[in-house]
Amino acid sequence: MLKKIFLSVGLCGILLLLPAFGFAEGFGVEVKNAEFVLHGDSYVLSADMDYRLSDRAKDALQNGVPLYWDMHIKALQHRDYFWDKTLVSAVIRYRIQYHALLNMYRVRNEGSGAVSNFSTLSAALDSMSTLRNYRVMDKADYVPGESYAVGIKVTLDRDALPLPLRPVAYTNPQWYLSSDWTLWPLTK
Amino acid sequence: MAFNKIKPPISLSILILFGLILLLLQLMSSATQESSELSAMYSWLLLVNALGSVVLLGLVGANIYSLARQLKKREAGSRLTTRMVSLFVVLALAPAVIVFYFSMQFLHQGIDSWFNVEIDRAMEDALELSQASLDQRMRWHLRQTQQLAGRLADSPETLVTLEMENLRELSGASEMTLFSRQGRIIASSSINPGDILPSLPDEHIWLQLRRNTEFVALAPVREDELMIRVIVTVKTREPQYLQALYPVPVRIADLADSVEFAFVRYQEMNFLRDSLKLSFSLTLSLVLLMSLLAAIWVAFISIRNIIAPVKALVKGTQAVASGHYDQELPVIAQDDLGFLVESFNEMTHRIARASDETRMAGIEVENQRAYLETILANLTAGVISFDTVYKIRTANQAAYRIFHVHVNQFVGRTLLELMQSYAELAEPLKSIQRLVEQADDIWQQRIAFLGANGRQELLCRGTPLFSQEGHRVGAVVVFDDVTDLIQAQKNAAWGEVARRLAHEIKNPLTPIQLSAERLQHKLADKLSDVDAGMLQRSTATIVQQVEAMKEMVDDFSEYAKPSKKQTVDIDLPGLVQEVLALYVLKSGVKFKADYDMGLLKIKGDPVSIRQVLHNLIKNALEASGDKGLIEISLHRVQKNSTDFIEIALYDDGPGIKDEQIERIFEPYVTTKAKGTGLGLAIVKKIIEEHGGAIWVDTSRRVGAGFIIQLPACNF
Repeated sequence: MLKKIFLSVGLCGILLLLPAFGFAEGFGVEVKNAEFVLHGDSYVLSADMDYRLSDRAKDALQNGVPLYWDMHIKALQHRDYFWDKTLVSAVIRYRIQYHALLNMYRVRNEGSGAVSNFSTLSAALDSMSTLRNYRVMDKADYVPGESYAVGIKVTLDRDALPLPLRPVAYTNPQWYLSSDWTLWPLTK
Repeated sequence: MAFNKIKPPISLSILILFGLILLLLQLMSSATQESSELSAMYSWLLLVNALGSVVLLGLVGANIYSLARQLKKREAGSRLTTRMVSLFVVLALAPAVIVFYFSMQFLHQGIDSWFNVEIDRAMEDALELSQASLDQRMRWHLRQTQQLAGRLADSPETLVTLEMENLRELSGASEMTLFSRQGRIIASSSINPGDILPSLPDEHIWLQLRRNTEFVALAPVREDELMIRVIVTVKTREPQYLQALYPVPVRIADLADSVEFAFVRYQEMNFLRDSLKLSFSLTLSLVLLMSLLAAIWVAFISIRNIIAPVKALVKGTQAVASGHYDQELPVIAQDDLGFLVESFNEMTHRIARASDETRMAGIEVENQRAYLETILANLTAGVISFDTVYKIRTANQAAYRIFHVHVNQFVGRTLLELMQSYAELAEPLKSIQRLVEQADDIWQQRIAFLGANGRQELLCRGTPLFSQEGHRVGAVVVFDDVTDLIQAQKNAAWGEVARRLAHEIKNPLTPIQLSAERLQHKLADKLSDVDAGMLQRSTATIVQQVEAMKEMVDDFSEYAKPSKKQTVDIDLPGLVQEVLALYVLKSGVKFKADYDMGLLKIKGDPVSIRQVLHNLIKNALEASGDKGLIEISLHRVQKNSTDFIEIALYDDGPGIKDEQIERIFEPYVTTKAKGTGLGLAIVKKIIEEHGGAIWVDTSRRVGAGFIIQLPACNF
């Protein structure tokens, strides 16, 4: 039923770059699957990500350092003669922080201001790892015949880390947690 | 030059550079402050500064490389630049490194001093205290809620909502909700009537609840509001859950918050301790590195600017040293170096002027010398100058002409060395050498020798040369060939004598002779035979002696008058043969003639030469008596690269005494009882008039020998 309404599109991850070697070490963010479908008048994006923190990142979090995550979403229109035109570029920013008094992990959506508390880290990370029905573009924006692509990427905002940690974060692979762009071509 | 004018002053660029670096460093340092707005740019600033350092490092490296190349090429000023740069780097580096080291020490110790066990424990204790306080409150609320649940369980089902309202107000809870076992809301009461939907427990809480039958936890409702969530089981027929939300008093919440904030902050700082040290060290190192590199680079530029005039001076000096005096260096700055450059320019001007003057003077002196040399060369007198060891320094053309020795054989040799090469000059050279060595003042000497053109007579005058200090530095000898002059003087003297003799003696002879003959003629008849006979004899003697005297006077005038009347080619063997033929028939003396083959010709007056031969042969005949041997030979000899014909004539008579040999050719010197003594004098005169020489062959032990050399006639 849903499939009849939702026009499913091919899910095909195109990795622009190999993921940072963090993955080989067992940490980093990975976009596991994503779905870009027409929902009503809009194309919406649903995605699942997997946050795996490195030991240093966990350590920092445990010691009260807030981590800021940016989920970048973009839609591109392919142009043969020029570089691709960016139709949509959005960022959803999360903050995760440990509260020692309550022994809880607090996740805050910086955009909406929504706060949720979790007694375990994995629960907190899970809350950030699902994206459901994010409206990317209107159906009207879609011009048949043109080729489009949608991408998602999650980055750790290293510049939001406490200052002393930044030089380390830029040099230590333990802090290379961001995912790469995962792009899907949107075809009818 | 034009380019330099367009370029901004170097000091301005340096100021701008330093300003930029300071700004960057200041920005980075400001960014280190967490609260600063620049904080977000920290990474960028770090990167820019690092890049700046790399660029500066590159610049310094390039400068060092170019300096090393200059050093290798031994370019002017490169060593001074190296020394100055090294000095500057050492001077700049040493204090900077010391300050850096202590700064790092202080930094690390300072950061470490923030943290210690006491504060650690105090922080943890404070947090624990907060937690304990909250815990106590939670437990209290749990108990309270349990009691409420008991009362609620007792109340009839229909009145639950009402009862709950009461209980909520009684307990001071802000919200109270009764859930069914499945999580359905049965009843709810809130302090805020607007809240329609009560706060719902999430799945975790449900899970925990099913295990423990009760749940109590702090729940942050909003960001800065704390609630105590208590859920207990209501023991009714169908188990239900009562959830109560108690607000934590604001004061306690604030205190807990503050403690937590401090704890978290402390915890974070503790965690970041090493990173903090690292980032401060990094910043400090970057500041040090960048300022040092900039300073070194600027040092390079300024030292190069300072050295530039020195470099120019070095090059200029080298140019001047190699003889290019037209050096005009640009005066860049009006400082000491500029003054030095100006002085250098003035010096080169003066040197150039002086060298011009010297050159002009040199040319002048050279002209003067050439002029003197021309005069000397054209002098008829020979001039030879000697150095201290009597080596010939200079000799003029006339000297070569007189000695017939080639120019390049003369100079740089001593007279004694010349003597070995030119044996015929031995006598005059030896005399001159002796005179030059011995004389302390001007000397004059007449030296005769047999040269290439026969007998030569030199009038030598010499003087030693003294330096201004009085040291002997050499000598100069001037000599004239006076052969012809002396000959002419002699001839003139003898001519005068002859003329006088003719006049004074010959004139009275005729009256004497006539008077004697007249006496004879007049008195012969008047005297007795005896007396007449005596008169006859006396007048005869007078007449005879007068005749003899006339003859003598004639001979003498013959000697006095020049004999070389006409010069023709004479074939000597023929002439000798001709003369000998006259004597061979007359006497019993034997003649032995020996001629060389080939041409034996001379240029001369045949009459005079014949007379020479006659005189010599007559002498020989007289010396050897009736029976003797006269040898005559003709040879071609070479002397001083000139051909001579040598006529040697020997007899086997008594010979000539040694003491007479010296004077035998002078007039009126004779060994014979009778004779005028003019024979050999005439011979000598004729031979010398022909450019030849005659001498007595003293090597001959038997009889007398004469050797005549006459210049040969070459065709």
